[in-house]
Amino acid sequence: MRFDKRRAAALVCFSLLMTSVGQSSEKQVLVYKRKYIMGTIFEVAAYDRSPEHASHAIEKAFQEIVRLDGLLSDYKPDSALSDLNRSAHFRAEKVPSDLYRVIDQAVQFSRLSDGKFDISVAPLVNLWKASLRGDGTPSRAQEEKVRSCVGYQKIELIPPNQISFRSPCLQLDLGAIGKGYAVDRAAEVLHSMGVRDALIIAGGSTIFAMGSPPEQPGWLIHLRDPSNKIDPQVMLKDGSVSTSEQTAPSLLGNDSAGHIIDPDTGRPLKTVFAVSAVSRTASASDALSTTLLLLGPAKGKAVLKSMADVSAIWISHEAQVETVIGNPQILLGGTLQTPLSLGKLP
Amino acid sequence: MNIGHTILAWALVLASTSASGNVFVQWTSSALLPAKELGLNDLVLSWNASVSTQARAARSQGYRVYVEMALNQAAAVSEIDASDFEGIIMHVRQSERADLEKSLPKLRAAHPGLKFLVLNPDGKQPQMKGSLVVKHGAVLEVSSPTAQPWIDTNLALVKIEQRSQQGQIPLYTFAWEGSSDSGNQTALTATDFSLAVAEAGAFHADLILQLDERLQKGLSKHDPEAWALWKQVLSYANFCSHTSDQEMEAAANVAVVVDDLDPTDEVMNLLARHNLPFTVLGPSDLKSSNSEGFDVVVVFSKPDRETSERIADLATRGKTVVLVDAHGSYPWQSQDATRLNEQAVSYALGKGKVLELSEPVTDPETFAQDIRRLLGKENVLMSLWNGLTTVAVPYHVHGEPVKVLELVNYAGEPLRVQVQVKGSFASIRYETPERPCCESLVPVKHDGFTEFVIPDLRIAGRVHLGTNQTIDSQPK
Repeated sequence: MRFDKRRAAALVCFSLLMTSVGQSSEKQVLVYKRKYIMGTIFEVAAYDRSPEHASHAIEKAFQEIVRLDGLLSDYKPDSALSDLNRSAHFRAEKVPSDLYRVIDQAVQFSRLSDGKFDISVAPLVNLWKASLRGDGTPSRAQEEKVRSCVGYQKIELIPPNQISFRSPCLQLDLGAIGKGYAVDRAAEVLHSMGVRDALIIAGGSTIFAMGSPPEQPGWLIHLRDPSNKIDPQVMLKDGSVSTSEQTAPSLLGNDSAGHIIDPDTGRPLKTVFAVSAVSRTASASDALSTTLLLLGPAKGKAVLKSMADVSAIWISHEAQVETVIGNPQILLGGTLQTPLSLGKLP
Repeated sequence: MNIGHTILAWALVLASTSASGNVFVQWTSSALLPAKELGLNDLVLSWNASVSTQARAARSQGYRVYVEMALNQAAAVSEIDASDFEGIIMHVRQSERADLEKSLPKLRAAHPGLKFLVLNPDGKQPQMKGSLVVKHGAVLEVSSPTAQPWIDTNLALVKIEQRSQQGQIPLYTFAWEGSSDSGNQTALTATDFSLAVAEAGAFHADLILQLDERLQKGLSKHDPEAWALWKQVLSYANFCSHTSDQEMEAAANVAVVVDDLDPTDEVMNLLARHNLPFTVLGPSDLKSSNSEGFDVVVVFSKPDRETSERIADLATRGKTVVLVDAHGSYPWQSQDATRLNEQAVSYALGKGKVLELSEPVTDPETFAQDIRRLLGKENVLMSLWNGLTTVAVPYHVHGEPVKVLELVNYAGEPLRVQVQVKGSFASIRYETPERPCCESLVPVKHDGFTEFVIPDLRIAGRVHLGTNQTIDSQPK
């Protein structure tokens, strides 16, 4: 599990061919905005006939993400999540519907992955986050103490809007799903305001594609490739892709710190792969990419068999590739570019 | 203000030993406003055949006029009437630095009535970056493992200029992104201009601010929108112009030793983005006592015998020295080696150590995090939380604790930033261009550090740290 996907964020790249202002007969205009929210940079690129309307819609979408940040943040002491983390131990607390929904979805992924995806790893994440900042490697005793606090089974969801923790020290961290949830809600806002073709990006690691650019079948997205040999791509339309990757190993040390923690071991995950997962919603792709990274290709593929409309790719630095090809397809080696004449990258 | 106050104010001005954060305006349209109306006095004209006429006209409007020219145009200096100009700004590319070192003293000697300033024209538009780059209506591919998308900052460039142009306040400029696609550039906003001014001010550098044609026209025609924008920029220029009564210098406990002063170096850019205060040194600096105050010294140049002995000496006295991709035979290699990983070996020397990295830095992001770890928690000068888009630069009087922290938020929207500074401070006072000096912030002290929360950093902020409850020095 991880507290964010910052590492992968910088490494996902995109290429799109877009209609210049005033070029198309429909005069679709591209409006692009970005905003720093949830400790990362959200970006929206939207096509609309009215730039003013698109701009207004994007601002509304950003406002929705800001609102959700006020609920889902574990950094803000007055967020609904922080309230819950302080007060729900052995006591049912009423929570806002968005917080309930995102925790409910997270617990479903925990069940699906037999606990590999677990939003209750916050205490372990914090322990290793401190290590990443130079506090030294935690002791075994510290690890054991903290591990006793972890376990999604200790989260009790009481419909329609109450949550209780069956542990005196359980803490939740929504970093592995919260941004995806925010992207989905932002897409709803854009849609409700009549925007049909837009790309929403959370920190580079989670992307949701609404519709497609004018006269294009979808939004062409280049996925993270640590080997720089595979060039995986996906043509997204009304779907989402997320990428997860463990923190790069230290160049000047032998420590094993990392931001994605394996709940089974209580320690930073050791993996050679980066994973991109494609799904219908950003919440699902966000949670799924972390889950698949933690599970690895063999177990990950088994989990994906039970799911519809998903694709995934694991790529190692040595160009080892494992895929689960669903719909939409992940294609390798730039095969999407030539037949669709999407233009050359600069 | 009474006479006593007036005398005191002038005494402070005369006693000042440093001034920076000056904004030079580059104005290209013909309708120039009087300096008093524009609110800035330093005007930069590009070299051309009629520059003297333009300069005379600008002087009559109250400007101090500088002409900007390339190094290969320097001979033209003798053609101008020096009395029309305040100075010459030499526009110098990295490859011309060696030539500059030869010609600049000669030019200064030949034209004693003119100031000669060296301009680094290779600045970047300061901004928060995303994963997408929109250019002229198209979104193009961006990103690479070493080009983190979060912010473009000129801090590394300023650090390099501080090393290369000792004796001159760093002066740089940049072209606005998209400005080459004339007519299609998205309108620049007050935030864009203010961020540029705030950045230079926070880094104690001078800036040539290029005003786009749209703004120049708007100001000339007294368009209210253009003037509202410009008034905000002016408030930032006033806030960022420093005249200190004490010689303040950037505090740093990491030294980066390089042969080539290359501002595109991603290691330095990443150290800057990670808020690791560093100083750039040349190999010769390492031999002097200049490197005494650093906890970590990162050496990118291949050390000669004298330098390697100096490195060994630094390590023996408790420093951590990181030697990057410098294969060779060195004195510390006679000590027991601890292999850290496939690429790195550590040698313990006295109270410190030398780490050899056997290859170039392939991942500057990870390298910057490694440097933070090597510093150790007790030696980290400052840390920021929720500060991904914020760059902070600590200043101090040499040998004293940090006194001022300058902050720039590249997101351009109010941000709550938690700050930890090494040292024990009783008074934390905060000011911004929007909120004059000073709001008191609550310090929380622990383990030799002081923490406080900046409630709403928008673009520029300045924190005054005092060791006594009483005000240590009066900010300007």
